[in-house]
Amino acid sequence: MKHAFENIVVGGGHAGVEAALVSARMDINTLLITMEKTAIARMSCNPAIGGLAKGHLVAEIDALGGEMAKVIDITGIQFKMLNRSKGRAVWSPRAQADKNQYSLEIQKRVMNQDNLSVIEDIATKIVVENSRIVAVETINHGSIPCKTAIITAGTFLNGLIHIGMDQFSGGRLDEKSAVGLTESLNKIGIKSGRLKTGTPPRIKADTIDYTKVLPQYGDKDPIPFSFQTERFSPKNIPCYITHTTKTTHEILYRGLDRSPLYSGKIRGVGPRYCPSIEDKIVRFGDRNSHQIFLEPEWENANQVYVNGFSTSLPLDIQLRGLRSIPGLENAEIIKPGYAIEYDYFPSYQLKRTLETKLIGGLFLAGQVNGTSGYEEAAALGLVAGINAALNIREEKPFFLDRSEAYIGVLIDDLITKSPNEPYRMFTSSAEYRLLLRFDNADMRLSHKGHLLGLINDHYFKTANTKRATIKAAINFLESTTVCPADINPILQNQNESTIHSGVLLQKILCRPGFHISALLSFFPADLLSRIRQYKGLDDQIEIDVKYKGYIHRQIKQIDRFKRQESLRIPGSLDYSNIKSITKEAREKLHKFRPETIGQASRIPGVSPSDITSLMILLKR
Amino acid sequence: MGVENKSTIVALSTPGGFGGIAVVRLSGDKSFEIIQNLFKSKQQLRHRLAIFGRLYDKNGYIDTAIVTYFKAPNSYTGENLVEISLHGSPFLCDLIITACKQEGARGAAPGEFTQRAFLNGKMDLSQAEGVADIIYSASRSAQTASAGLLEGKFGEIISNIKSAVVDIVSVLELELDFQEEEIQITPKDEIIKQINAVSAKIEALINSYDYGKICREGVVCPIIGPPNSGKSSLFNAFLKEERVIVSPSPGTTRDFIEESIRVGDYQFRLIDTAGIRDTDDSIESAGVSKSKDLLNKGNIILYVIDISELKANVLQLSDEISEKVIYILNKSDLAKPHLISKVKKQFAGQQHYFCSAKYLTGIHEITSGMVKKIERLRQESESVFITRLRHKEALDMARKSLMKSVDSATADNPSEIIVIDLREALDRLGAILGKTTNEDILNNIFSHFCIGK
Ligand SMILES: Cc1cc2nc3c(=O)[nH]c(=O)nc-3n(C[C@H](O)[C@H](O)[C@H](O)COP(=O)(O)OP(=O)(O)OC[C@H]3O[C@@H](n4cnc5c(N)ncnc54)[C@H](O)[C@@H]3O)c2cc1C
Ligand SMILES: Nc1nc2c(ncn2[C@@H]2O[C@H](COP(=O)(O)OP(=O)(O)O)[C@@H](O)[C@H]2O)c(=O)[nH]1
Ligand SMILES: [Mg+2]
Repeated sequence: MKHAFENIVVGGGHAGVEAALVSARMDINTLLITMEKTAIARMSCNPAIGGLAKGHLVAEIDALGGEMAKVIDITGIQFKMLNRSKGRAVWSPRAQADKNQYSLEIQKRVMNQDNLSVIEDIATKIVVENSRIVAVETINHGSIPCKTAIITAGTFLNGLIHIGMDQFSGGRLDEKSAVGLTESLNKIGIKSGRLKTGTPPRIKADTIDYTKVLPQYGDKDPIPFSFQTERFSPKNIPCYITHTTKTTHEILYRGLDRSPLYSGKIRGVGPRYCPSIEDKIVRFGDRNSHQIFLEPEWENANQVYVNGFSTSLPLDIQLRGLRSIPGLENAEIIKPGYAIEYDYFPSYQLKRTLETKLIGGLFLAGQVNGTSGYEEAAALGLVAGINAALNIREEKPFFLDRSEAYIGVLIDDLITKSPNEPYRMFTSSAEYRLLLRFDNADMRLSHKGHLLGLINDHYFKTANTKRATIKAAINFLESTTVCPADINPILQNQNESTIHSGVLLQKILCRPGFHISALLSFFPADLLSRIRQYKGLDDQIEIDVKYKGYIHRQIKQIDRFKRQESLRIPGSLDYSNIKSITKEAREKLHKFRPETIGQASRIPGVSPSDITSLMILLKR
Repeated sequence: MGVENKSTIVALSTPGGFGGIAVVRLSGDKSFEIIQNLFKSKQQLRHRLAIFGRLYDKNGYIDTAIVTYFKAPNSYTGENLVEISLHGSPFLCDLIITACKQEGARGAAPGEFTQRAFLNGKMDLSQAEGVADIIYSASRSAQTASAGLLEGKFGEIISNIKSAVVDIVSVLELELDFQEEEIQITPKDEIIKQINAVSAKIEALINSYDYGKICREGVVCPIIGPPNSGKSSLFNAFLKEERVIVSPSPGTTRDFIEESIRVGDYQFRLIDTAGIRDTDDSIESAGVSKSKDLLNKGNIILYVIDISELKANVLQLSDEISEKVIYILNKSDLAKPHLISKVKKQFAGQQHYFCSAKYLTGIHEITSGMVKKIERLRQESESVFITRLRHKEALDMARKSLMKSVDSATADNPSEIIVIDLREALDRLGAILGKTTNEDILNNIFSHFCIGK
């Protein structure tokens, strides 16, 4: 056999493990090359999975057969549904992770996976023949032939760590950086850039004065991430809330002259939604206090993550700053906060399959695509893994569009916007937010996972059953009239105005603030038991009925969107001769080479009138 | 693959009719070749140079002319372009256009020059629209408005409105995308107040459309009144006393006679309701729908009354319409002074003029009164007014979406629902000014709020 390994995954981070597992499960002989086996699926930053919009990604990963949701359900130590006070569409789960257990559990799955081998090494070079990848070169294992490779090197490529005025190379604190790969990619024509991110100090748990901080627990009635998780009764270990003070700000302010950020040492662009504490006090000087969350890094941990205090100020300033925070007067630092600069590959160079446009069989996923966050990385890894497998099997590529999944939004934003600051998922980025909910991820996507052979029949059928039940319940509500005698007592009970003649149940449910639970008694017994078979199904029925008008509008918009998406632009189109579009648009289109009119329309700098011209031309 | 213009087009590019100078334009690959065959001059045609010479067709000499040649891509359309200036006679223009066609050009479709300019990257869509407005503008005021559009004054107002909506959306998105602990929640009432404020601004802009339309298409002035009050006589008096223009815009309806006059900055489209009388007796009972339509469409309604027949009931008009009325008290030549002062009292508080359509007295007073009335309308609208129906419709829809979001907020819908209508409003505004992207909203959030743990 020419190829002992068909697909090589470089890097065992959150992107790498999803990519490697999925490709192996799709019967591709897969090799994972990573620098340290014990660092596989390590959480570089905060000990948590999920969060607003990120929780959606995790559920989607789950519905497509990924690992993240299942593993956090097992290893989480506190679960909370965020945005409960808002509409259902923006509810999103978050969990504190036992970060040691999390990576151990993933490692176990990686090691036990058929078709998947793991070696400890550093990939240094990509070998290309005829614009197609043919091998990956490593330091200790030489050149390893392959048909496809997925680079998921995270923050390790030429990683440079900053603490105050000190700087040293590293991929994370106490881990080596990876040199060579960026240069090798550059040489074959792939452009790279520089980004930055940061992390707060970790402190000793037993140096915290717990009388001065406020415990914060998770939900009493927690909801799992994975729709495949049954019997869910996780731990509920608290975090603690405290806050910075004016004194803290003064201390930090005085350390700014030794800040690598403010002294110009750091050139990489950092995430604005994840500012360092020094950034917050400089940019929002009018605030006297910022919240701090103390998060245990594992069960019974003596190591606590100081969320909200990401910093690259010198160690002495970090310590003095921390000690000015109520409850942390005697805090001791285990690991300092730091900033890290690393290489990434601007994402306009990718197709929606995450294959590079330039080199066949070469895929990029995770932080190297310019994203940040475990969930974003895992989602990208999964999609790249699936497509590498399909590429080897010479099957049609797999992609999700913006109307199908947050993952679709994520990838489309990457390839049409090519952000030059670390990209994070937001619910506001999803225009069809109402339809892309956490609670319906399985119903949206598991048929796709099933088709790829990544979701078993049982869960595929479960999703179908749920969908059918919801439909039946909606039909019932829309066709059943209640008489005043039956409903008025319930209405009175809720201080609602009563009715005088028969009214459709659906009308009652549409009243603002009215909840479906009060109507369940009207359902026939068998339908009711079907609804109760799955937790939260009643809420989903309610949303579908209450916001039917809005949902309908989004569905209509999706039709229009799909039409634009289906207008393909020939890859050979020479934009330089199209005079009817602006120079800027011409340059952007040439750079991004959109695959469809839809994609073209989302590239910044390409205006609707440019799109009109383009469409006129394509129609000719 | 650029824009290939196989055809060369020709058209008269100044308003038709008799005038000082008419300009005929030729654009396309063959335009230079065509003009070479039709134009004889001492000097060679050269890029951007105006050359004096004579035009000939197969049958001989047509006219003297000044021809300017613009070489692609440095021309208005981006193609080879020829401008022929000749004496403003429809007959001569026809001859030269026919000659061009015989040489291989074809007649241009309306707006085709601008369209080609657009396709060849000479202007963007909104500029193209502005140019179309200049070409079709009926008066100088509209030209200023068109220029405003080109310079982006109108764009500035819309983008102010847009950024106000972006601010509101940002506040709501902030609550959805960041955890409660990190941010402050804005009360719904405050959100509603802000939305209402924006939609009031949009409404003012929408109202300016009426004035904008007047500038583009002329002031529609139906002349109404009882039979024999002198409507047709007044109509003719205007044509005798004022500068008549051959209107490029078609008549309002075939049931009426229409002529245009120009007074100051404005074009007035006088409409004699003659046609009605033949079927019915007066406008009160007549062809109700047609005349009602005319009353609604009219910008100024000239209500003619024979002062010697004052007993005849004055028509009861709705408030909206009576605001537009100017009373013309006709046949003053027949009236005794005491009658005049009596009538004056009766019409105090309403805009009115005495005149004699027969002896042409008081006509200028009426026309300057008409100008005054239009000027007042202008003051009521924004300094920049909208002239395009497309813009008005976009604003209309944006306002409707905003109103829906207010309803939605009032019904206590969750923020992600309220935002749907607000974003739709942004999309509508985007139809005028370009899209608002998620990045715009996130940028706005990051620059205004301290978020992120
Ligand atoms: C200091 C710091 C702060 C962060 N802060 C945040 C934050 O505030 N918010 C947030 O959302 N995210 C943050 N992150 C990012 C988060 O950790 C990443 O988004 C996520 O881990 C990316 O996953 P990944 O799989 O792409 O890469 P990583 O998790 O970085 O994994 C990369 C893996 O690849 C291996 N590797 C790299 N190069 C090679 C090579 N050449 N050969 C073999 N193996 C290689 C490494 O050993 C490592 O195991 C931070 C990361 C760091 C380091
Ligand atoms: N003396 C006098 N007669 C007028 C005047 N205006 C119109 N007339 C006459 O009134 C009659 C009706 O006029 P006409 O314009 O046809 O009225 P219409 O039915 O309102 O259109 C004609 O005989 C006109 O000559 C005027 O100002 N003075
Ligand atoms: Mg008449």
